[in-house]
Amino acid sequence: MKLNEDDLYRTSTQFRQWSFTAEQLAAQRAKTNLQATERVKLNVARQRAQRVQAAELDSTSGNSGIDGSGANTPNAVTSDKEVDCLTVTEEMTFVEEFCERTMALGAHCKFSDNVIATCVQFLRRFYLYNSPMTYHAQNISRTAMFLAGKSESEHQSLDHFATNISSEKTKVTPEQILAPEYLIVQALRFNFDVKHPFRALKGGVLDMMSIANGKYEGPNHSIHKTAADLSTAIHQLPRKTGGLAAKATSQQLADRIMRESYSPAAQTLKKTAALTDVYFLYTPSQIWLAALLLADEPLVLFYLSVKMPSTSPVYEKVIVALRECALILSSHRSHQKLHLPADEQARMDAEHRAEVKRLIKKLKLCQDPDKLDLVKLNQAQKRDAVQGSDLDVHKAKRRKMDRENFQKDSDTFWGPELPTYGAKPA
Amino acid sequence: MSKVTSRANGGQVRQGEAGGASPLSKSLYSLSLKPSSRPRTDAASDVCPVCKSSRYLNPNMKFLVNPECYHKMCESCVDRIFSHGPAPCPIAGCARTLRKGKFREATFEDLKVEREVDIRRRVASIMNKEESDFETLKDYNDYLEQVEEITWNLILKIDVDETNHRLQRWADAQAAETGATRRTYEPDPSMAGASGVVLKKGGTQRRALETSSGNTTDTNVKDKGFNFHGLKKKVAPPPEAPFDPFDGWSIAPQYYTLQNDYDADWLTKHKREKEQLVGGYQWSDFYNRALQDAFGGLTVFIDDEIRARDIPSGDAAIGTERAATAAAGGQDVNMDDIF
Ligand SMILES: [Zn+2]
Ligand SMILES: [Zn+2]
Repeated sequence: MKLNEDDLYRTSTQFRQWSFTAEQLAAQRAKTNLQATERVKLNVARQRAQRVQAAELDSTSGNSGIDGSGANTPNAVTSDKEVDCLTVTEEMTFVEEFCERTMALGAHCKFSDNVIATCVQFLRRFYLYNSPMTYHAQNISRTAMFLAGKSESEHQSLDHFATNISSEKTKVTPEQILAPEYLIVQALRFNFDVKHPFRALKGGVLDMMSIANGKYEGPNHSIHKTAADLSTAIHQLPRKTGGLAAKATSQQLADRIMRESYSPAAQTLKKTAALTDVYFLYTPSQIWLAALLLADEPLVLFYLSVKMPSTSPVYEKVIVALRECALILSSHRSHQKLHLPADEQARMDAEHRAEVKRLIKKLKLCQDPDKLDLVKLNQAQKRDAVQGSDLDVHKAKRRKMDRENFQKDSDTFWGPELPTYGAKPA
Repeated sequence: MSKVTSRANGGQVRQGEAGGASPLSKSLYSLSLKPSSRPRTDAASDVCPVCKSSRYLNPNMKFLVNPECYHKMCESCVDRIFSHGPAPCPIAGCARTLRKGKFREATFEDLKVEREVDIRRRVASIMNKEESDFETLKDYNDYLEQVEEITWNLILKIDVDETNHRLQRWADAQAAETGATRRTYEPDPSMAGASGVVLKKGGTQRRALETSSGNTTDTNVKDKGFNFHGLKKKVAPPPEAPFDPFDGWSIAPQYYTLQNDYDADWLTKHKREKEQLVGGYQWSDFYNRALQDAFGGLTVFIDDEIRARDIPSGDAAIGTERAATAAAGGQDVNMDDIF
C-alpha cells in the first residue's frame, strides 16, 4: 500500500472541505448573499419599527430632540431609504479590496508572506459562507490576521498586535480583536491549515536547477534519456513558445530560471493567486505551475514532459488545468496591471478606488444592524461578562438559571468539578 | 463403573438448552440455599470433636476443615496443633498429615458436598474444553459425559490412581499443544494411595511415581490420557508481527526522487547560516517537503473529483454537507444569543 503525493494532498482539509467547482462556488455565494439580504432587511425593518416606537414614547414624555447617535452619518437603520443590498459581484469586489488591505496590514505588522497568504485565505473562506453585509470586513480582517499569525506559528501577543494595527485615527482594542475570533474559527470549520504554493514553487525550481546542472535523478519520461541529455535539452529551450532554440550558457539558464521565471511567478503567487479563486478551484501544485507557465511557458512544458509521459491522457489534462488556472490568474486586475503603461495603471487604480468608495458607502446603508457591535455580542455570550453589558434583567436571570441547570445536569452526570489545591488559578 | 454411567446419564450432559437439574445441583440447593430446617444450634455440629468446647460457650467459634481428610475441628485446635508445622490429624483413626495452611472454612455444611465441589473444581480446571472446540454438539456432549464419569470415579473413589494419572497426562498434552506453561494437575489429596502430601517426602514420592509410569509415557508418547472424538485440532496462533505504526502504508513519491543535495544560489547562502547548522535541522527534510508540496495534487482535478464525490457520497461527504449547512445556515450555530 503506497501513497503518492496526490493521495497525501487528498487527505488535507483544503481538499476535503475547501475545494469547489466553479458552479459550486457561484451557487454558494449566491446563497450567502440571498440569506444575508433577507436577514438585513428583516433586522432593519424591526429596528426601524422599534425606533419609531421609541421616538413616539420620547415625544409623549417630552424630551425628544436628543438623538445624537449617528445623526451625521446615517446607517441602515437611521436612513429612511429602502435598504439597497450589495449584489454578489459587489460583495466579491468588496472582499477582494479588503484582502488587499489586509496584505498591506500584514506587511505593516511584519508578518511573513505565509501568514499574510493564510490570512487572506481565511478571509476568503469566511466570506464564502458569510456576507460582508453581516460582518464587516474591517473587523474580521484584523482578527483573521491575528489568527493567521497564530496558526502559522508567528504569534504576536494580543496587546502588541493591537497597538501595531492601531493608528491615530482608529484605536483598536484587544477586545475588538478577540470578539469575532470564535466566529471566524467556526466559520473556518476549525481548519487552520492552508496549503500554499510558495514552498512548492521553491521545490520545483530546485528540481529544475538540478536538471540544469545535470544532476537530475527523478523520473524521466522525456526523449532525453540521461541526466546529461536533459541538461543539454534544458539549455536549448526557446525563450518563448514557438521561438527559436538557442543554446544558453549555464549562467544564463540559472538567471532565466531564478530571475525571469521564479521571481515573477513568486510575485504572482503572493499577490494575484491570493486575490482570486484559484485556491478553491485548483491544487497548490497546479497553482505554482500555472504561475510559472505565465512567466516561462517553454520551461514548464519541458519540465512536465520530464515528469510524465506526454502521450498519457493525464498529461493533457494537467496542461488544460494549468492553462485554465493561468487564465484566471492572468485576467485578474493585479496581473493585467503589470503589462500596462504607468498612466493606464493609474487610471485602473483610480477606477477601482472609486468603485470601492461607492461600495463602502453603500454597505453602510445595508449593514446588518444586529451585528454592528461584535464586542457587545461577544460579551453577551460569555459567561461572566454579563454585568458589563446592558442585557435586561430578565434575560440575564434566565441565562443564569439555564446555566445553573446545565451545571447541575452535568454535575449529576460527570460528578462535580474537582477541587483545585494549591495555587489559585489565574 | 456402571453406577457412574447411569448417574452421569442422569442429567449432567447438556442437551441444547436443557435445564434439567442434576441430583447434585439439587442436593447443593437443598444444602446451601434452602433455609436449613435444622436449627443452627445443633449440638453435634457445634461441638469441636477435638477439644469438645462448644459454640454455646464461645459464640465466635469457627470450624475449619482440611481437604486432606475433611475432618472438622475448631480454629483454636488448628492453631494449637498445626502451628509448629505439619502434624497428624487428631481425629481418631485418621492420622493423615495436615498442614495449617490448607485449613479453611467449609462452604457447605455437608462435607461430602464440600469434597465433591473441590473435586469438580480440580477436574474442571483440566477438562476445560468448550463447545466450539468440537466438531458437533454430539461430540461435545459425549465429552461432557466422559468428564462426568471421571468426576464420579474420583468422587466415589473408583480407579483413583489410574484416573489421576490420566488426568495428569491429559493436562501435559494440552499444555504441549497450546505451548502454554505446564499445568500441574493436583490429585485429590483426600484419596488414600494418591500422591498426597506426605511431609517433605512428597517430592521424591511424586518423582518415583512418574518414573514408575515413565516407561509407559516414553513408549507411547501419543498417550494423552484421554481420547475424545471430534475434538478440533488446536492451531497455535501465528507469531505476532512487529508493530507497524503506519499499518502497511508508506509514502512513495511518484514525481520526484529525493536527491542528496540541491544547488541554488539562494540556497547556498542559507546553507552557511549559523541557524541552519544547529543539530536537528536537516536540509533533506526541507527538500522533501518542498518537493512533496510541489507535486501534491498535481493530478488531482478538483472539478472531476468533486463530481465523482457527489454521486455516491460516503459519510465524509455527509459530514461536510452538514458542516456546510451549519456554517451557512441562517443562524450560525450557537453564534448569536445562546439562548
Ligand atoms: Zn477444638
Ligand atoms: Zn482427619
